[in-house]
Amino acid sequence: MGSRALLVLAPAFLSESILLNHISRSGFHQLLTQNEKRVRVGGRNYSIHSNLERPDVTRLAETARISLTPQEAEEFAPKIQQVVDWFGQLQDVDLQSIEPAIRADTEAGSFREDSPETFENRDAIIAAVPSYEAPYIKVPKVLNKD
Amino acid sequence: MLSSVQNPRILLLHCRWSKPLHHHHHRHYPKAIHAAAQAQAVSTSSPTSQIQIIQKSIHSREKTARQFAEEFINRLRLTEPHVKSFLHVSETVLNEADEIDRKIDRNEDVGPLAGVLVAVKDNICTADMPSTAGSKILENYRPPFDATAVRKLKESGAIIVGKTNLDEFGMGSTTEGSAYQVTANPWNLECVPGGSSGGSAAAVSARQCVVSLGSDTGGSVRQPASFCGVVGLKPTYGRVSRFGLVAYASSLDVIGCFGSSVADAGILLQSVCGHDKLDATSSKREVIDFTSQFVAKDYLESQPLKGLRVGVIRETLGDGVDQEVVLSIRGAISHMEELGCIVTEVSLPSFSLGLPAYYVLASSESSSNLSRYDGIRYGNQIVSDELSSLYGGSRANGLGPEVKRRILMGTYALSAGYYDAYYKRAQQVRTVVQKSFKTALDEHDILISPAAPSAAYKIGEKKNDPLAMYAGDIMTVNVNLAGLPALVLPCGFVQNGLPVGVQMIGAAFDEEKLLRVGHIFEQTLQGCSFIPPLIADEFKF
Repeated sequence: MGSRALLVLAPAFLSESILLNHISRSGFHQLLTQNEKRVRVGGRNYSIHSNLERPDVTRLAETARISLTPQEAEEFAPKIQQVVDWFGQLQDVDLQSIEPAIRADTEAGSFREDSPETFENRDAIIAAVPSYEAPYIKVPKVLNKD
Repeated sequence: MLSSVQNPRILLLHCRWSKPLHHHHHRHYPKAIHAAAQAQAVSTSSPTSQIQIIQKSIHSREKTARQFAEEFINRLRLTEPHVKSFLHVSETVLNEADEIDRKIDRNEDVGPLAGVLVAVKDNICTADMPSTAGSKILENYRPPFDATAVRKLKESGAIIVGKTNLDEFGMGSTTEGSAYQVTANPWNLECVPGGSSGGSAAAVSARQCVVSLGSDTGGSVRQPASFCGVVGLKPTYGRVSRFGLVAYASSLDVIGCFGSSVADAGILLQSVCGHDKLDATSSKREVIDFTSQFVAKDYLESQPLKGLRVGVIRETLGDGVDQEVVLSIRGAISHMEELGCIVTEVSLPSFSLGLPAYYVLASSESSSNLSRYDGIRYGNQIVSDELSSLYGGSRANGLGPEVKRRILMGTYALSAGYYDAYYKRAQQVRTVVQKSFKTALDEHDILISPAAPSAAYKIGEKKNDPLAMYAGDIMTVNVNLAGLPALVLPCGFVQNGLPVGVQMIGAAFDEEKLLRVGHIFEQTLQGCSFIPPLIADEFKF
């Protein structure tokens, strides 16, 4: 079973397997029960890590290049905070000796030769460009602005 | 199920009497009705492959491809104002059917899906139809190429009937997140069809098409299949090329199949799978013939699944799961025992941790993947004389609220200094989930769980509560983290008449076993017909 596999993986894993059993016994819905800065997991409270800053929606929106109206930022903040708090439960599991998996363990990973090919349907690509003045894609000026 | 070969009155009857009951109660049905149904149309009690019927009929000239196409298009026209599963319907369906008929007349090869109407989720690229991914930012966008899966469908002779509705970029579980329209569940028009492939599931459920393609990042094929009473197949990660699938979370995304029978979903997978040099993550493993596994009902032994080791995932039948869903799944389990399966419980302790890990991975990858929508090379662009406000404004205008929130959450999780705390941890959980599935599947041939913790719910019910909606994905996300194949097939109903699906999870690249087991399961499941009342009402039989 899963818990046995965890124990084999690393001796230091005992704490996690106990935690995981806690979670599985008490049902996943409790993972969703939460209050201010605390997430309730399987009958125990785990604090949100204090060294992680809470999301600043306005700054995130700038980074992600999405212009938010002040109302949108205000409306999004509690919803994003709620989900990020919920993500916080990942901090409380001991995963120290576990290798991260970048994707499913499949036998993929064969790259094709990096050689140029001519794409036939170039007109369709150009037709999709919103601002086009042959042979250029038009964007606002980015250099020598006054 | 709905074809000229069968007596439609029986379907109507079937639907009415089996709808509100759990399938294992079938012994309690009025004897006369039960006997009548059995005597007149044995085939209606178990789903027949519509693809096989079409192939047989058009090749024997019993019926033309055009007649089949007209049947589906007429039904589509009648039901679509209620269901709204399509964002775009092709205008060339009947012409393409005529072309197939002409080829048959000339004895030319027409392909294994000749005359089969396939609907395609609108996040899968089609060069001759718009492909919006349900987003305003791609309104009217026409890709310069077909997705590999679509190209393969066309090469197999399939007729693409149109593009189906979805939650914007696949981000949602109800299809209410589409920027264009809300799709209804054909079983109850006030309910959601599930999501994000809600349009593809509803289209098959309402028999607007024969089969359809969806995509499954965290359950987006399997949960709507369960809500709409159809078969949904999520293949192993890498089984089907993702080239031309609009990327959401690339480490999890797969293209999946819907059908009204297991055979149809399997035949569809057969046509679209295989290695593709345009997708480095697509597997080079040889593709075997899944369809040779199907044994007709009359040839089945009394215990056709004797010795099959089935593990029921304990964590999926506990608190937080609708008791009527649990009852249906228990009914499915008894059915499997009657077929000879050895059923035991199995625990996957990491199961609940998979949900937050999934949402960290999916949001993070989406924040990176969706950065391409900047309004410069394609898609909607706002007018601006400054570059960063052109980006910001085009994205603000074109993306919907759920997509924006996921991008922002992903941006947060990937921020400098936070990577180890979120993305890396989620990837470590993925390793734990993969290993626990591996252990469970070493001891069992397949694993069983519900496809969703509830049947379909009302439109609007969970719209403003993202966490409640995310919680509904608990049954499916772990399978994506592990990259495993899973088959969802209808197995019963809850009291209000909505269908329930059972999820069968197999080892990587063992779709063959899932399809074989699923096919036997549905052939032998008595007293359940999964034709929604909508088509019975629309068609005065």
